[in-house]
Amino acid sequence: MKKTKILVSMVFAVVLALSAFTVSTVYAGALGNGSAITDTLQIGVITSLGDRKLTIKTEFEKTPKSYSLELLPECYVMTAMRGHFKKFKELKKGDLIAAYGWYKGGKWNARRIDILDRNDYLIKRLASDAKSGSYYKHER
Amino acid sequence: MKKSIIFSLALIIGVTLLSVKAEAKKTVLTPFDKRDWHVTEKYDSDAPLRDYAILYDAGGVDGAIGVIGIPSMRTYRHIRVGVDLHNFPFSGSNAGNNNGTPDGKYLYVSDKGANTIGEVNLQTGWTERIFALPVPFGVHHCAALSPNGKYLFATGELTGKMLKLRLSDGATTVLNIPPAPSSPDYPDTSKDGKYVFSGNYYHSTVMVFSQDPFKLIKEIPVGKNPHGTNVSPTNRMVTVCDKLSATLSVIDVETLKVHKVIPTGAGPLHNQIDSLGKYVYQSCFVSDSTSKIDLQRMQLVDEFPIHYRVGHNSIAPDNAYYVSQNKFSTGLFTPTGIVFAVNFELEDIDETSDTYGKSVKIIPVDGEPHEGRQIFATFIQRWNTGKGDDLFTKGYDLGDVHVSFGAKGRPGLPANVHPQLEPRHVANTKKRWVPRDNGKPGITKDGDVYVIRVKGFSYGYVPRFIHVPKGAKVRIIYTNIDKAAGLTKNPDVTMGLNIYGFYGPRTMIIGVRGMSMVAEFVASKAGEYEFFCQHFCGPLHLEMRGTFFVDPPGQQASLAVGDYDSVSMKEQLVDENEHVWVVGTNKLMNTLTEGKEPTI
Repeated sequence: MKKTKILVSMVFAVVLALSAFTVSTVYAGALGNGSAITDTLQIGVITSLGDRKLTIKTEFEKTPKSYSLELLPECYVMTAMRGHFKKFKELKKGDLIAAYGWYKGGKWNARRIDILDRNDYLIKRLASDAKSGSYYKHER
Repeated sequence: MKKSIIFSLALIIGVTLLSVKAEAKKTVLTPFDKRDWHVTEKYDSDAPLRDYAILYDAGGVDGAIGVIGIPSMRTYRHIRVGVDLHNFPFSGSNAGNNNGTPDGKYLYVSDKGANTIGEVNLQTGWTERIFALPVPFGVHHCAALSPNGKYLFATGELTGKMLKLRLSDGATTVLNIPPAPSSPDYPDTSKDGKYVFSGNYYHSTVMVFSQDPFKLIKEIPVGKNPHGTNVSPTNRMVTVCDKLSATLSVIDVETLKVHKVIPTGAGPLHNQIDSLGKYVYQSCFVSDSTSKIDLQRMQLVDEFPIHYRVGHNSIAPDNAYYVSQNKFSTGLFTPTGIVFAVNFELEDIDETSDTYGKSVKIIPVDGEPHEGRQIFATFIQRWNTGKGDDLFTKGYDLGDVHVSFGAKGRPGLPANVHPQLEPRHVANTKKRWVPRDNGKPGITKDGDVYVIRVKGFSYGYVPRFIHVPKGAKVRIIYTNIDKAAGLTKNPDVTMGLNIYGFYGPRTMIIGVRGMSMVAEFVASKAGEYEFFCQHFCGPLHLEMRGTFFVDPPGQQASLAVGDYDSVSMKEQLVDENEHVWVVGTNKLMNTLTEGKEPTI
């Protein structure tokens, strides 16, 4: 009897864990759980720079994630305010950027890099929202 | 005493620091700003000599693209494209928000009156090519570009069809979208190359197509009569303006289901999502306002009043300004003729600005502009300062990315040539204003002329179906009989009648209260052609439809019976020696090899 109870409890626990997993994947990467590699816009701080490649650590979300981005040949770099074009070599570690592109063939292909300004109202808003617990890409 | 000295010192230091910070926030002049000798302002202001962004608007009934500076709101030029322009993407990629990721080369604008898509070269500032769409089709919107910029998706509102167009040569794949009545309306593409989303006005759904191969996947029920349908820059959601439900439906792109329905303002028509996907600004026609919805919190967070009856809208590429593209001006400006100018209203949407949420400028504009999109001024080069040859040989640089038009030319264009097309707006017709005609609606004969009296009202036509034999001399007498006033109507409201395609330049008839307009032309091409109201006249403006049948001898015209191959050539839009710059047409229908033409 005791063994049966333990067995039932174990089965229940496994089913519960599986159901929780199922629920959590309903909106994984879509509307609820922070950024995903399949997003076509990533916002983050540059942590490393290579030959038209860079790595960012995301900002304004609950748990920052790292993504490696490769610039497509036609990908340009510009300031998000006033639209001044920059060369790739002008990017620096610590720059806050928005990268637009798509994930294909195991790579995140950047089509455009915008250098963001932390004084911009929208960046201030994303920062203050995150501070108050309303995180970017954690839509309700 | 000591305390007050310390306090004073702290105050002085504080004020000094604040001043330094304020100074540091001012815009620093860059080489781009300095290159013009006439730039005298040290810092940017609301009335700069140079504008940092340019608003291109599809000018609707004037058949031209308006080019307006942001934030000065000065009109710089008009680019002639055709008959009745609706919306466009910039060439480049669809990455980002509605403004996309431009390469500075072209924009592609849908012409509902001519059933074409005009290719405008942004660097020359002229129309360069015309994509003649298949007939029957009846394009409304074509704002959906594939991520790789090689394909355009357009809606055939007037016949219930969708198409995918290859921009290199104008080849198309056309899909029928049953059941009738079916009205594919406003499309947008997912940023990862998977889907095309388009509202179907009569089905009250958002249709989902795969981009490659191009086919219908499903229809998602949304609010009543959806209009603006836009994909967020993150590609996570599609925002849909449910025009008659006063809501914003948010579709989850992963599950392809409605995730949330957010109550907004009355009569929502179009969306502008900022470049980071934080807010969507929605034009609300009936409530005369702009609704601001937070896409993170999924709720309405602000509402800005606008002057009167907003339709389309656009957002600055740096998210600092929003332009409310209003439909009526209600006597706001000096009268200059029979049709009043409509107006554009510049709203400050910078939350840290003193004038946040306020209209900072309002200007009269030509035509009745539909969608607008904005681009940083840095994309447009200066070809008239001795560098003109570079346009043909070198191209230009966007940072360390080189953009070239190529010296070999493209299909439909001679090598190393940039045409200056000025397609006809109105042609092969005889139009005149007359005193209000009170004759009975219908068809009568005056000698060998078919006299067709059409009455326009909110929201429809009498008669709705018109038959004439091929070759008939036609005289349409159009009268606006509307008496409604109040919520959606005022005496300034103009109605129109335009028969799409071949008869587009021949009609463009305007219905102003108190007078009638007459258009005379020869119905020389057989077929079934929808007619529609080309002047936005109220919330149910899209309901104003009818059908003009030109019956061939011994037959009744239909979507299968007509001179469609002939009229698809668009020979009436340009001169005979310019036909080389018209590409596409029915001859290239369905030549795309589905499944082998990736869109990303």
